[in-house]
Amino acid sequence: MNPFNSNHPIRAWFINRALNHPHFNIILTIGLTLTVGSGISFLTIDDDMMAMLPKDLDSRISWDAVQDEFGSTEVVFIAFGKKGRSIINSESFAALWDVTAALQERSVIDEVTCITTMSRIDSDDGFMLISDLQPSRELNMLEIERIDHYLNQNPSIRKRVLSRDKEYFNIMVQPLADIPHDIMRNTVVAVGDSVLSDFEVHYGGTAYITGSVPALIRNDISVLLRVGLVIMAMVLMINLRNPFAVGLVFAVIVQSLIVMVGFMGWMVFLTGSESFHFAIINTSMPIILLTIANSDGVHFITKFFKEIRIRKDTVKALEVTMDSLLVPIFLTSITTIAAFLSLSLAPIEQMMGYGVCISAGIGYAFFLSSTFLPAAIRIKKWNMNSKAISKASMFENMISYFGRLVTSNPRSILAAGVTIAVVGIYGLLWLNVDVNIAGFFKPGTEFRDSIDFIDQEMTGTMDIRVRVEGPIKSPELLKEMTGLQQMLEDNSKVTTSFSIADMVKQMHRVVMDNDPEFEMIPDERDKINNLFTMYSMSGDPDDFSTMVDYDYSVGLVTSLSRVMTTDEIISTVDKIESYTQGLKSVEKASVTGMAVVLRDLVYLIVESSIISIVASVLVIGLIASVFFKRLLWGVMAIIPLSVAIIINFGFMGLAGISLSHVTALLASIIIGVGVDFAIHYISQYRRLADRVEKNNLTRDVIDDVGYPIMLDSASNMAFGALLFSAFLPVQYIGGLMVFAMISTSVGTLTFLAAIAELLKDRLLEIET
Amino acid sequence: MKYILVGSFFVSVLTGQSGYDIAKKLDEKEQPKDLIYRTSMVLTNSKGKTRTNTMISKSMDSNRRQMIWFLEPKDDKGVAFLKIEHDDGNDEWRLWLPAFKKVRRISSSKKSDSFMGSDLSYEDMTSRELSENTYNRLEDDVVDGRECYVLEIIPSKKLNSSYSKHISWVIKDGLVGLKEESYDKRGELKKKKEFQYKRLKDYHVIERIYVKDMQKNHTTEIMFKSIEVDSGIEKNLFQEKNLKRLPKK
Repeated sequence: MNPFNSNHPIRAWFINRALNHPHFNIILTIGLTLTVGSGISFLTIDDDMMAMLPKDLDSRISWDAVQDEFGSTEVVFIAFGKKGRSIINSESFAALWDVTAALQERSVIDEVTCITTMSRIDSDDGFMLISDLQPSRELNMLEIERIDHYLNQNPSIRKRVLSRDKEYFNIMVQPLADIPHDIMRNTVVAVGDSVLSDFEVHYGGTAYITGSVPALIRNDISVLLRVGLVIMAMVLMINLRNPFAVGLVFAVIVQSLIVMVGFMGWMVFLTGSESFHFAIINTSMPIILLTIANSDGVHFITKFFKEIRIRKDTVKALEVTMDSLLVPIFLTSITTIAAFLSLSLAPIEQMMGYGVCISAGIGYAFFLSSTFLPAAIRIKKWNMNSKAISKASMFENMISYFGRLVTSNPRSILAAGVTIAVVGIYGLLWLNVDVNIAGFFKPGTEFRDSIDFIDQEMTGTMDIRVRVEGPIKSPELLKEMTGLQQMLEDNSKVTTSFSIADMVKQMHRVVMDNDPEFEMIPDERDKINNLFTMYSMSGDPDDFSTMVDYDYSVGLVTSLSRVMTTDEIISTVDKIESYTQGLKSVEKASVTGMAVVLRDLVYLIVESSIISIVASVLVIGLIASVFFKRLLWGVMAIIPLSVAIIINFGFMGLAGISLSHVTALLASIIIGVGVDFAIHYISQYRRLADRVEKNNLTRDVIDDVGYPIMLDSASNMAFGALLFSAFLPVQYIGGLMVFAMISTSVGTLTFLAAIAELLKDRLLEIET
Repeated sequence: MKYILVGSFFVSVLTGQSGYDIAKKLDEKEQPKDLIYRTSMVLTNSKGKTRTNTMISKSMDSNRRQMIWFLEPKDDKGVAFLKIEHDDGNDEWRLWLPAFKKVRRISSSKKSDSFMGSDLSYEDMTSRELSENTYNRLEDDVVDGRECYVLEIIPSKKLNSSYSKHISWVIKDGLVGLKEESYDKRGELKKKKEFQYKRLKDYHVIERIYVKDMQKNHTTEIMFKSIEVDSGIEKNLFQEKNLKRLPKK
């Protein structure tokens, strides 16, 4: 049996395999899926957000230097107490003692800072005593009063260990260097929840947030993804009206996903590279691949249904479908792969793995559409009288409206499209970048409430660190550090700051008989030397290890603050940099801290996204120009997706939705889907150019590709389910996904169609 | 300084006895009446950075009275320290701060605190009371060709030690401490210590202590030089006024 008459040998080979060896095709593809998919056992989930950060990022270099010199600066805060009740009582101190002991026993924890572990420096009649602030687990009233009095005398210490209204204790838990934040977070929460079950417990700190977010987002998305798949199945079922056909679309999607994830695992096994770890950034991969694989399957099935309705013959319908769609699907796959491979240009290591693995999935979706899908259609006995085949669907009937609209008003449509694009460009001017991770969570959620609590009642969730180089024992430099702290604390978001200068001032006061007038930096270096020597004789010099390095040549000023927006971080960092430039004794100052590093990361992701968008659009235009043999077609292929990107990001700007590392990924979805629509449109336009009367061409093309485009778009809108996410950026992705589907599909069927209609003489001239 | 005691602790003649018996004899070992020495203490952190301190020490009554004058580094020169231990535990520590021209009494109740940034804590430098520890004799060992007794020393709970146990190797021939391992409360190895002695008059006097903090990868090497024993130091040396003058030797 060889009924096909394709004019291309490769296409003819694929058609031959599907029509004459369908069982072999199915067994081959399923076998291949299982083989590649077995790599899932090597898949490595990496929840360490810091692994994403390029090591040559300036703030990362400073951050690494700070970690190296002062130990891990990223802490988890535990605040516990009871609302409306003073925490200053023996039971609470005993609980603090117990939780501290439990935390200190954990191997991932380096240091616990709280009342239990702090030293106190007292002076009495020329006698300096350094002792434990909390001397034992069981405290009598006198001992409790002594602690309370000491904290009242030292407000900067009090701020770090006690809430303003004395209802909650605060504990700062510092991990050992190189301990991933997710492991740290899980350890601290397990200890806190088990030991402090009689109290309200709140957690915070950047290590807590970054340690919690990846797993939370992944779990959230995986649930919503399933909801989205159910809605997608329903949309497809309503339109295709055939469970087997819907099953086939899903078979393509699921196998592509298995291969993509399995491929990722194999890459880890074969290369050992962290680029192929499944990190938070990879969470969007399944959604993107789903939309692309869905597109392949939907175009194929709808085309087949249309052809079988006309020809009443499975083999002929299949042959025409394959002959008509193999090249466009191949082309859409190639262009999308090229777009995603351009992610390799991004400075973030995981983006390379992202691009390579999703490309493997897209390539496999094409392979399945060319082998598995036609083979499965071939072996099915189709009922020609079923509604699915004999009658056009709801969407199919609606499509003719677009054809009439475009052919009758091409200039108006073009003008409307240009107007919308101009509005989009205007919106781009308002687009804001923000990476406030606490802002990921809606107010009222447990996680957000906990962060807000630490922000409002304690020292805050964020930290900004200034690494200062210079002779730390010099009085001039210590005075400049004090000035820097004052400047930091002038910021209303900063709750407290501390540095070695505070310790020097406190020691000075103690040596001078506790006279508050001497709580200042001494004017002579020898005095400062004596103070440090005195402390080393009576206390532990390790107490300073988080504030000054071994050589006393690098100091660290730490400020804790409430959550800042990215704009506020930028402004604060600018002010600090400007301030430190005017310091004479400070040889070099650099600003770092998780907030600053994350700010840089976001800029990097946004920058990467822009590079990748521009590179993708150029590569897609180039490939389309080569395949369609004309530059004009290449330009037209990128028009809908370019306009869709402008409109989407412009809409974000106008709607006040910030660009973050999550929402920036929307561009990939728009490109992946938008290029598909345009290429299907252009392919069909060229295919029908010499077969259809000139004035009917646009209407016939829309009739032919409009339905699969609309169905593809509508089924992908199922991911609007992401609107129900607990994470605001994921919600935005859900909403913007719907917006993107509408803009790309309607844009193709109106804007692109109107341009093609207006340029039809020129285009037909090219084709002939 | 009390690390002298760490060494003398090991000196005894011991054969076929229980851990407690061995410890008791070590504790009863005769000490010099007084000691004068110059020490250099080299601290090295995990990145290879070093700090060196040079001091002169004079002590008597098994270090119950001791004065230390700091010579190096330059930042510390002139600082001096006086310690007088009392039976009731209320020890007197006084520090001369030349830049302030003041003597200040100091105290630390935190036994786990490091002494001068070294890997020796005040607890390490304090002689172990027999009644406050449990001594178990482990299987004898041979280290570098030298036969050793091996003692497991477990601090009692009331001591509130920062250690869960120590394992000490005592050379049978000559009966001096060779090395010791100390474990933290989690049961993980915290410190390794090595000792070297020289024979002076009838005493085994320590001349080198090497300590490595296994968790911080930080080391301390203390060399004892110009050691003099039983040189006739008088009690009235240990007064505040003598802190202000650096000794000639």
